[in-house]
Amino acid sequence: MNQYAERVLSRLTERYFNETEYLQSVRARLEMIDPALDDPRYEKLDLLTRMVEPERMVSFLVPWTDDQGVAHTNHGWRVQFSSAIGPYKGGLRFHPDVNASVVKFLGFEQTYKNALTGLPIGGASGGADFDPRGKSDHEIMRFCQSFMTALYRYIGADTDVPAGDIGVGTREIGYLYGQYKRICGRAESSALTGKGLTYGGSKIRQEAAGAGAVYFLDRMLEHQGDTIKGKRIAVSGFGNMAWGVCKKASALGAKVVTVSGPDGYILDEDGVGTPEKLAFLAELRASGADKIASYAERFPEAEFFAGKKPWEQSVDVAMPCATQNEIDVTDAVHLLAGGVKYYVEAANMPATAEALKLLRLSPKILTAGSKAAGSGGVAVSALEMAQNSIRYSWSRKEVDEKLHAIMSGIYDASAAAAERYGLGYDLIAGNDIAAFLKISEAMIAQGL
Amino acid sequence: MEIKNEYLSGLMERVIARDPEQKEYHQAVSEVLYSLAPVVEVRPELIKEGVMDCLVEPERLVKFRVPWEDDNGNFHVNRGYRVQFNSAIGPYKGGLRFHPSVTESIIKFLGFEQTFKNSLTGLPIGGGKGGADFNPKGKSDAEVMRFCQSFMNELFKYIGADTDVPAGDIGVGAREIGYLFGQYKRLRNEFTGVLTGKGLAYGGSLARTEATGYGLCYFADNLLRDAGKSFDGATVLISGSGNVALYACQKAQSMGAKVVAMSDSNGYVYDPDGINFELMRQLKEKERKRISAYAELQPAASYHEGCRGIWTIPCDIALPCATQNEIDLESARTLLKNGCYAVCEGSNMSSTADAIEALQGSGILFAPSKACNAGGVAVSALEMSQNSMRFSWTFEEVDNHLKQIMNDLYKNVVNSAEQYGMAGNLVAGANIAGFLKVADSMLAYGLV
Repeated sequence: MNQYAERVLSRLTERYFNETEYLQSVRARLEMIDPALDDPRYEKLDLLTRMVEPERMVSFLVPWTDDQGVAHTNHGWRVQFSSAIGPYKGGLRFHPDVNASVVKFLGFEQTYKNALTGLPIGGASGGADFDPRGKSDHEIMRFCQSFMTALYRYIGADTDVPAGDIGVGTREIGYLYGQYKRICGRAESSALTGKGLTYGGSKIRQEAAGAGAVYFLDRMLEHQGDTIKGKRIAVSGFGNMAWGVCKKASALGAKVVTVSGPDGYILDEDGVGTPEKLAFLAELRASGADKIASYAERFPEAEFFAGKKPWEQSVDVAMPCATQNEIDVTDAVHLLAGGVKYYVEAANMPATAEALKLLRLSPKILTAGSKAAGSGGVAVSALEMAQNSIRYSWSRKEVDEKLHAIMSGIYDASAAAAERYGLGYDLIAGNDIAAFLKISEAMIAQGL
Repeated sequence: MEIKNEYLSGLMERVIARDPEQKEYHQAVSEVLYSLAPVVEVRPELIKEGVMDCLVEPERLVKFRVPWEDDNGNFHVNRGYRVQFNSAIGPYKGGLRFHPSVTESIIKFLGFEQTFKNSLTGLPIGGGKGGADFNPKGKSDAEVMRFCQSFMNELFKYIGADTDVPAGDIGVGAREIGYLFGQYKRLRNEFTGVLTGKGLAYGGSLARTEATGYGLCYFADNLLRDAGKSFDGATVLISGSGNVALYACQKAQSMGAKVVAMSDSNGYVYDPDGINFELMRQLKEKERKRISAYAELQPAASYHEGCRGIWTIPCDIALPCATQNEIDLESARTLLKNGCYAVCEGSNMSSTADAIEALQGSGILFAPSKACNAGGVAVSALEMSQNSMRFSWTFEEVDNHLKQIMNDLYKNVVNSAEQYGMAGNLVAGANIAGFLKVADSMLAYGLV
């Protein structure tokens, strides 16, 4: 590794020795961008230290009462990581595992992901060590209100724009925004994204990450002189992201042959793409019944495989859309043995480090990471901000066209950076390097 | 120049008596009042309602101390200014100039002119100007950064995306705007379109470099077509080889013109085959060579010492894009003798007063810089639009807006000249059109 980067990392390790996730992500990033660090300005301006540490971080207490009148106290954080290219932007996570290290790690990664969307958004993250599971709507509401009472003074449409993440969905965003509006006394809708359609949300938002990943895949196929038409795609999960992939892939002429749930997966050789099947997935998701087996009952042409993962099927493309670390080394071996040619991550970190390494280094397949291919979600978040700012809503078609152009732009920037730094067609490294160059250019321009 | 209206000449005397030492400001006011005499004859309410008196007094002017430390630890104190001249049609908007010659009089003169220029674009921007008597020449990057930060520590109290939006001018380029923006963002903790001329990585607009040159050609194209002429097949001279000249050359060529000569401050090149634009751009923009290098690489071209000589080449259309007063009476006479039928000014005040008189007197097409080169500030305003909506337009989108703005501006200037009995006099048309929009807005607000 570059000597200056090495020194920055060792100082960071000394200072934050107990923040494992954060240090791990900084190390991984510095290794990835190593080919681009050969510029004396970076050390002269101590650019790396300023890039890997947040500009500002606040922690606060979140007191709330449960339905029995018992008081609880949680811990909340907001990390405003980088404002080099726009207001801080990133999700809020409500989960018992949340701590300073996790939010710093997420904020750092978000900075890189946001940079390449081409939209003016910096990087941030936040959340609380609160577990929404088993809480009543009222308890959630009271928690969100208390959280926002602490957070509101640090955010704003031009300053910091939080969104959802694990444990923070449309319901929580609604409560958070309601409280923000009440405290500030103005309907500053672009202070939060992921809002409901009735109060400033954007169309396409739900399926954006999935649809964006398909657009990204389309560009990879085009690069190989291939076409998406007729491709067999394996998808995991059946939520918004999987739904978005199914819908966009079938619109472009490909066939998604698997979707999965906690109970196993289904194989549907006709493709999960008809309006009827897409509607069924949406119903299944809304019902809260986590059983994909019911798909095979409803559509007899599909076959259900209990307790298995879809990666054992022989397909052209694998697109994980479920959860983190769902692909381990065994699954990666299955995919390679099945002759998969493209591996495109829509979900965040779907493969374990070892599995990803195996896939990336295999000469037989092309891989795209979630930071690039999965950025359709945050891209449409930024488009939600844009629509709020112009006080106008775009049609589905308008948002979709912009999403398409953004994904194409991310692909182009990643491919170009990989080539420029002699990394061939390594889109994952290319993506990190292109993001690094953009952030560093903006930081240098704005001085110390 | 005698102002042919009793009230206005009295007003001029009061302006002089109030600030007797501000010679540059007096000159600017007297030129404008002179051209407006025919307007107030028809619209006496502009005098009665106080519009004319308010127009010549800035809404606000702040002067401040700018202390800074050089690389050797010595202290320096400069004087900074911001004049917020007129907010009748939008937030104050105008450049910052860092140059030893900067005085209150210069800043007032520039802010006054900016008000009318901005009005002509048709976009919601008022007039402002500012700067400091600081000389950036010979200063290190770090010194310039410290100066910019100190300057912004005071200026930030008075500016904002809805209040006053500074841009660059002499001595304030992309580097200074970056430092100024960085400090503003740090002081306010908000990322807004508070400055224009920003880098692309942090909120700048595409097509800004091309804007003035393209805009000039769009304006000229309107003018030519109305006179039954066209760029197509015309022989064109373009003085200068900076941004304005280069992109005027590119656009004129794309409209079918044959650009046969360009210049720099040492001399000019004549290329009877037509200027090879890509080669010229490579030499001037990338390699920063003198223009004589072009003649060495292009066999048909010849280099001639002395830049004035360019106007001795026979042409149909002349586009002065180099510097002020570059067309004097003698050059104007030579152009006329050689059959030139249109002169459109790309540089600020390209022609001397007697040259304009000669050109206008001969009945050829003449368009002043005030109207022709408004493309630059127009794209600044489009940068504000893009920042406000948190979304960036493509190059083509910005270019289309620019084209529309220049088309509208042309019609407005022609109509205003006609309406006040000076059909074809675009100098008068530009002064009147810019003034009327400001004046009508001021009337609407009452005495405020």
